[in-house]
Amino acid sequence: MTAAARTTAVWAGLSAITLVSWFLAPAHHAEPVTASTAITIAVLTLALIKTRMIIGEFMEVRTAPVWLKLATDGWLVVLFGAIVAIDLW
Amino acid sequence: MANTSTAHLPASKDLWVFVLGDFVIFGSYFVIFMISRRQERDLFIESQRQLSLNIGVVNTLVLLASSWFVARAVQVARSGEFERARKLTIGAGLCGVVFMLVKAYEWLAKIAQGHTFPSNSFFMYYYMLTGVHLFHVAIGLVFLGVVYVELRKRKPLALVETGATYWHMVDLLWVVIFALLYVMR
Amino acid sequence: MTVATAAAPAWTHKPKIDQWIAWWTIPVFYNVFGLIFVVLTRVMPPPRPDITPAQIVQFFVDHSLSIRIGFALLMFFIGFASVANGLIALQIKRMSVSPVFAYAYIGSLVVGGLPGCLIPAFAFVAAALRPDRDPQIMVMLYDWCLLSFVGSLGCFCTQNMVLALAIFLDRNDVLPKWLAYMSIWMIVTELLAAPVFVFRSGPLAWNGSISFYLGTVIFVVWEFCMIRLLYVAIRNQQPSEQIQD
Repeated sequence: MTAAARTTAVWAGLSAITLVSWFLAPAHHAEPVTASTAITIAVLTLALIKTRMIIGEFMEVRTAPVWLKLATDGWLVVLFGAIVAIDLW
Repeated sequence: MANTSTAHLPASKDLWVFVLGDFVIFGSYFVIFMISRRQERDLFIESQRQLSLNIGVVNTLVLLASSWFVARAVQVARSGEFERARKLTIGAGLCGVVFMLVKAYEWLAKIAQGHTFPSNSFFMYYYMLTGVHLFHVAIGLVFLGVVYVELRKRKPLALVETGATYWHMVDLLWVVIFALLYVMR
Repeated sequence: MTVATAAAPAWTHKPKIDQWIAWWTIPVFYNVFGLIFVVLTRVMPPPRPDITPAQIVQFFVDHSLSIRIGFALLMFFIGFASVANGLIALQIKRMSVSPVFAYAYIGSLVVGGLPGCLIPAFAFVAAALRPDRDPQIMVMLYDWCLLSFVGSLGCFCTQNMVLALAIFLDRNDVLPKWLAYMSIWMIVTELLAAPVFVFRSGPLAWNGSISFYLGTVIFVVWEFCMIRLLYVAIRNQQPSEQIQD
């Protein structure tokens, strides 16, 4: 796959995941909206996937030195871990 | 033949100091948001319904497209097609401007509905997070302007990569803001 | 019998001794600043905006003497900040950019220093002088000090913008580019201090986790870096270097 095709595929994937959130978000539901652990986890998982794709592909960390990969992955783990922990504990 | 590492650090180390630091700073904002949200969960979920998901999705798609433009610009610049790279950079910049206009429209709509900065905790975070992010977008547009000028000079691409990496950071932060403010419950 | 005229001591001939003296005012200033604002006057961390007038009056009764002594000290030491800024302005003049940036840097700190340090001092001192005033007046002086102290941080945005721009444009590498990026963080946290005018509690109040604490942490980091970078810049500077007017 050429670099161009890969970039476009990444963009298409990110946009598709974004559209999925249209269905997960509250505005579409007629019944009273309540907190939902399943949806929270789903949304955060999708956000994690998107951010990791942006970092790895667009920011080219995938082909960067190891220390940068560790730093960015580390930040993602700490951030999303904290978000999940605060919401669910 | 010696096994040389093919790892390539895009953009300058200085910019990565900024990006990683900005990640930590925004991360702090997100954690503080989550703690407040946990304390007033019903309020946050109810207030979230006042946001326009459509606008949020549009803005997300616009920024993702702008990142595509920027990523492509770097790639074609690397193969020497500077003219095309400049056009792609303008594309990214236009997306950025669209994002800002949509955001301004969204804010005005919310204010017209009576949801102001001090209305409640949720809207405090809404305006604060999107506001600080908007500031970053504005700086990003300046950086893209520098990228455009650099491409004209056809010199080594360090500054082009720097501007591109910064822009992707702006895109990434919005992805998280979108998830936390508009979608997550 | 002739009286030998005293020659200047050898240390005054040390290269760049003038800049080193200026540099030393910086750590001295910040240590004294900490003593004044944290220990004596209790402005850092700030007491809460959301307490009753009676509690505010009690605060001034409890700390009346230390507030007045602390801010009396400030009257002498506040000028040290001007020396530091003169030093930074000189380093900016060493850059390949117009001295406009150096002048703007100094000017913007004057603008910020007034509401940032001096106005808060006088508000608190007035309250501390006669704590038996009308409680509403005490509340006003309390608000005035703390709104000014935290809320005026935006005045320093110009300082950081000027410094960042100068560093980005500089071809002489006087200060590293990452300091320019850090200055952008400072701008963000300074912008987030303005909401203290809107909120009386929560993270965007004058004692808030975002408006005050996060901003203070980033400022401390930035200042440590600045002190260290100035040291390196002076050390690497050629004594014979020509600096633009």
